[in-house]
Amino acid sequence: MNTATGFDAGRSDLHTATLEEVSQFLYREARYADDSAYQEWLALWDDTDIVYWVPSGKADYDPDTRISYINDNRNRLQTRIRQLQTGQRYAQTPASPMRRVISNIELLHDGGGGAEGHGAHEIVTASNFVLYEHSIQASDQLRLWVGRSTHRLRRRPNGELCIGAKTVELVNATRALPTLAFLL
Amino acid sequence: MSGIDVTAEQPVTVTGRHRYTDADRVNGLAYSDPDVFELELHRIFTDGWVFVGHDSEIPDVGDFVTRRLGHDPVIMLRDRDRSVLVLANRCSHRGVTLTQAPNGNARSFQCIFHGWTYGLDGSLKGVPQPGGMEMSKSDCSLDRPGQVTSYRGFVFANQSGTAGTLDDHLGTGGRELLDWVCDLSPIGELDISAGWLGQDVASNWKMWAESDLDGYHLGTLHNSLWSVVPDTQYGPAVLAGESIVKATTRNRGGGHVELEFWRGYDRQLAWLGVPRERVADYCEALTERHGRERAEELLWMGPPHALIFPNLFLGEMNLAIIDPIAPDRTVHHHTPLLLAGVDPSFNLRVLRQSEAAMGPAGFLLPDDAAAAERMQVAFGQSGGWMDMSRGRSRERIDERGHVVSHVSDEVPGRGFWGHWAQVMAP
Repeated sequence: MNTATGFDAGRSDLHTATLEEVSQFLYREARYADDSAYQEWLALWDDTDIVYWVPSGKADYDPDTRISYINDNRNRLQTRIRQLQTGQRYAQTPASPMRRVISNIELLHDGGGGAEGHGAHEIVTASNFVLYEHSIQASDQLRLWVGRSTHRLRRRPNGELCIGAKTVELVNATRALPTLAFLL
Repeated sequence: MSGIDVTAEQPVTVTGRHRYTDADRVNGLAYSDPDVFELELHRIFTDGWVFVGHDSEIPDVGDFVTRRLGHDPVIMLRDRDRSVLVLANRCSHRGVTLTQAPNGNARSFQCIFHGWTYGLDGSLKGVPQPGGMEMSKSDCSLDRPGQVTSYRGFVFANQSGTAGTLDDHLGTGGRELLDWVCDLSPIGELDISAGWLGQDVASNWKMWAESDLDGYHLGTLHNSLWSVVPDTQYGPAVLAGESIVKATTRNRGGGHVELEFWRGYDRQLAWLGVPRERVADYCEALTERHGRERAEELLWMGPPHALIFPNLFLGEMNLAIIDPIAPDRTVHHHTPLLLAGVDPSFNLRVLRQSEAAMGPAGFLLPDDAAAAERMQVAFGQSGGWMDMSRGRSRERIDERGHVVSHVSDEVPGRGFWGHWAQVMAP
């Protein structure tokens, strides 16, 4: 037992997550994204081996042979965040006011055993979102973004949840999209 | 519609407003006036040659992609005899689109309304209840553009059939660019197979012809990227300072214009961002095909950065199509320029670079969209003049008769607008 955190990395039953814990995590991530709190949002991700994927359709294809809107590893995601933080990323300067509603949260795998094709104790959750973005940078439109997110969550050594992979399937991903310089 | 005088000294037009462009400036109404837009759809996108797609997108019989010629939906497909056809995506009976899919593979196309069925060659194969049919089936084939011609796999079409030859449209200047693109492949062929992404922008289409070919804005509009990714080929080529950079602009004529970043690169393969050892096989294969001298030149130059008038952007290791939707709305489609005859790891690198730079979530294009959308806002109702004179007094005509100048000079803009004015003249 790690007395500092009360978390024992060796006990598999302690890896499992509840819908309540996962939901609170997703709501927090959504709030950071809505507030363009870039550093806080990035801090929710694992330090290595991550994928932030926004496919150009359903997430049923090989991203190494077909183009995606976003396919970030840790390095590229950090670059994305640092670019936003320069204050000169004019597509998001000022940042879009936006609010998203997350719903239909399902805990597809609670982390009690290895998720299919992935490491043991990965927690898999899927949810729907509706996001209203006010593009105040130029065109001044209230834009609607709708989709489904699938998160693969992991436990840090201290027991906190973090994001290993996030896939966002936009309902209109097979068609042209407006500027997507904010965080989904 | 034919009365817009774009060359008059005084601002007079059929609309009673301004002239739209002279040598060094453009009126904002050229981007916002619906009459101008409608005339462009006729003169440029119906009566002229436009890029449709690349034949490597449809390698197998029945493969198709859907595109637009101006505002007319078309299907580009691979027929049974392996030829590439462009057909109207419009049933010859009552005009329903035959497919709404961006791409796919088909044995035939059947209209959902009354079930008319067409072969891949566009011929009408069958109709339900043929007893009442007044027309002969042979008169009901799908429409085709007046002319379709391809060059090095790049398929162009001209709706009206009155545009003259594609050869004349491209000219030596345009053909060279397409040859150059294909020469990058060790077998001279492209593999445009990764699909297209569209960026939906609230601006006129011509902002994209301009900003894609603007060498002046890289150090300002895109500074957010260079400040976090300082080590790119654009550093020495464009960002090093006005008196230092060697990159140039070029007007190849016919509205085909170019940024020559390669003149400012500081090493071979800067455009790919890898040292030579990493792509030794590629270098060897290129030498085998072209000989040492040309291969070494290509390894330095990489791909062109140029516009083939009006809608094809050769964006280094990307192809882009500029698709005019409305006076104040454009879709900028792009796909990575994948090469045939290279190792998959080469194309994977190109794909990842394309995702980084281009599209609605790329590190570059969203900021271009912000500038374009703010231009559209600024032109408002009465236009106002936009200056495009930069570098006029230091540009020169080279031995090939092309206007060339500093990379930051507005030679491409003037080349584009000069051709536009000719095509749009009454």
